Amino acid sequence: MTAVLVIEDDDRIRLALLLALEEEGYDALGTATAEEGLRVQRRDPADYVLVDLMLPGLDGFECIRQLRRHDDVPIVVVSARDDTHDIVTALEAGADDYVVKPVAIKELTARLRALRRRARTSVAGHVPEPVPVLVVGELEISPDGGEVRRAGQPVPVTRTEFRLLCELAEHAGRVLSRQQLLERVWGYDSGDERLVDVHVGRLRQKIESDPANPRHLVTLRGLGYKLQR
Amino acid sequence: MRRLGLRTRVTAVFAVGALLLSASMALVSYELTRRSLLDERERTALRAAYFDATVVRAGLDTDTPDVVEVLRSLDTGGIRRPVLHLDGEWYARTADPTTTAAVPVELRRVVAAGEPAVQRVRVDGQSVLVVGVPLSASATYFEINSLRELEQTFQVLALALTTVAIMVAGSGAALGWYATRHGLRPLTAVADAAEKIAAGDFTARLDPATDPDLTRLSSSFNQMVDQLARRIERDRRFAADVSHELRSPLQTLAAAASVLARRRQHQDERTAIAAGLVADEIDRFQRLVNDLIDLARSDQPAHRDPVDVVTLARDACRALDLPTTLVHLAPDVPAVWLVERRRVAQVLANLLDNAVTYGGGPASVQLGRDGSAGIIEVDDDGPGVSVEDREAIFDRFVRGRAAHTRGTGDGTGLGLALVAQHAAAHAGQVTVGDRPGGGARFRVTLPESLP
Repeated sequence: MTAVLVIEDDDRIRLALLLALEEEGYDALGTATAEEGLRVQRRDPADYVLVDLMLPGLDGFECIRQLRRHDDVPIVVVSARDDTHDIVTALEAGADDYVVKPVAIKELTARLRALRRRARTSVAGHVPEPVPVLVVGELEISPDGGEVRRAGQPVPVTRTEFRLLCELAEHAGRVLSRQQLLERVWGYDSGDERLVDVHVGRLRQKIESDPANPRHLVTLRGLGYKLQR
Repeated sequence: MRRLGLRTRVTAVFAVGALLLSASMALVSYELTRRSLLDERERTALRAAYFDATVVRAGLDTDTPDVVEVLRSLDTGGIRRPVLHLDGEWYARTADPTTTAAVPVELRRVVAAGEPAVQRVRVDGQSVLVVGVPLSASATYFEINSLRELEQTFQVLALALTTVAIMVAGSGAALGWYATRHGLRPLTAVADAAEKIAAGDFTARLDPATDPDLTRLSSSFNQMVDQLARRIERDRRFAADVSHELRSPLQTLAAAASVLARRRQHQDERTAIAAGLVADEIDRFQRLVNDLIDLARSDQPAHRDPVDVVTLARDACRALDLPTTLVHLAPDVPAVWLVERRRVAQVLANLLDNAVTYGGGPASVQLGRDGSAGIIEVDDDGPGVSVEDREAIFDRFVRGRAAHTRGTGDGTGLGLALVAQHAAAHAGQVTVGDRPGGGARFRVTLPESLP
């Protein structure tokens, strides 16, 4: 069964979310604080983490940062706050997606399924045929191994960053619009383009020698992004 | 008639004032100079005439005087012409009748009465000064002084003074122009700051240190902006707080309702109906809260990006299970517009939703242009909107009568208000009119969104 960790300080929300997720067939576990959540995740890693931003003690942003230090588990922010600053900060801290409360359970599980689809490595052995290693410039991306190497050195990326990179590498030299990337990587019909922008920024930090002046992952204003040699 | 600008008026007043002042100064000085020069000339002429008269009297004192010879012996230079009236006869150096005619009758009478006199007359367009000195009972001596040189001096003087007056008036106008420019500079600064603030930049302030006389204006202006910024910030925070406080319990409700919905088959009929009602209302409440939050924060100007509106319109149709063939892009209109994606998506969604709920379904979505403005027109097959409702329909919480029974009370009453606000955020507007052939036509204008 797929395990979900819910870090939410509001008892009633947490209880309702756990009930609803269990009803949808997930193995759900909740904690009221970030500290407790981090402890649980270290001891008994879940397949997804849902995290609120406003938490007593350690806040949601810091919680995401600490989770990301050792873990590439998909993290979805579930917050009532939806101002740009919060969303971008949470994504930059390492969250894969965010939803604004109140989110319908169907929508939430759809988001989780989309994250699972792209987390190929977690369903190892299920990939029917090997996909060749993609090479773009000094980058080597092996979709099956879930590995990225830059000049031979492994680059640690999260699963979402990896999916995004694969998508761009499969269409190397061609422009992909933000909406196309949202659809292919996050499974949105029509979603928030900041998701793409922040993840591209995070990827640049990892694969570009000068992230402020990217050579490989370039922006085409008004069109989208392109991965080039 | 269009009112002249403050600057033009002040400049004109300065120019006219300077002209009046300098013209009167010029007139007065001209008059004073003229009079004193003429007086001086008269005195000189009189002195010379007395002297000459003494010489003539001495010359006439002989037994058989040669009158003309006596007159010729006078040293009068070129500007004085002596004339003698002796025993009813006129004598001059030359036989020029104009010389004697120049002596006016009145002067003759005064001098004949034994009084020396001076009179200025014009002879043949020339100004002359006639001085008369009585010699004896039967003889009077006159001298005719040409004033041509003096007249020329007066002309030069008048020309100089006129030039000065005109120059002073010009300087007055220049001064007025400069002074207003200087004086209006604070107003220009206020206008610039107000424009910036209207565009959403609340950091714009006036510098209170520029001019002590304008400190009050700049400080009260800055105070006003501070207050405005505080108020907007408070409203924004209030909207954020309200959204947070309303959304959190809604999350519990939504999750709990989904559990109830999942377990419908385990519930008896009445429980299932009640659970369904709760779920529906939670859904509506959610939309209401989202619309309210959108409305509260959508009064800021739009953040424009290049957006493919055709795809956006087709997506909006798909989301409502409508055929994407409804969307028409007018020829020679580009598909990519410079608009805020989220807002235009909501405009399309709300107009289509409105057409479905109240208009018997949308008939078409047309994307066109009017100059640089993008035009979105959504037509429906409904009964149309009566003329008196065409304004109120965009107010908040105004709901029409639903065209089909299921829709009663389904909307939030904020959909069209949001459309209006999103259009306004793009400096545009939304109007509703009749569609040719029946139904309503909603027309959204988004200025400056096309090249």
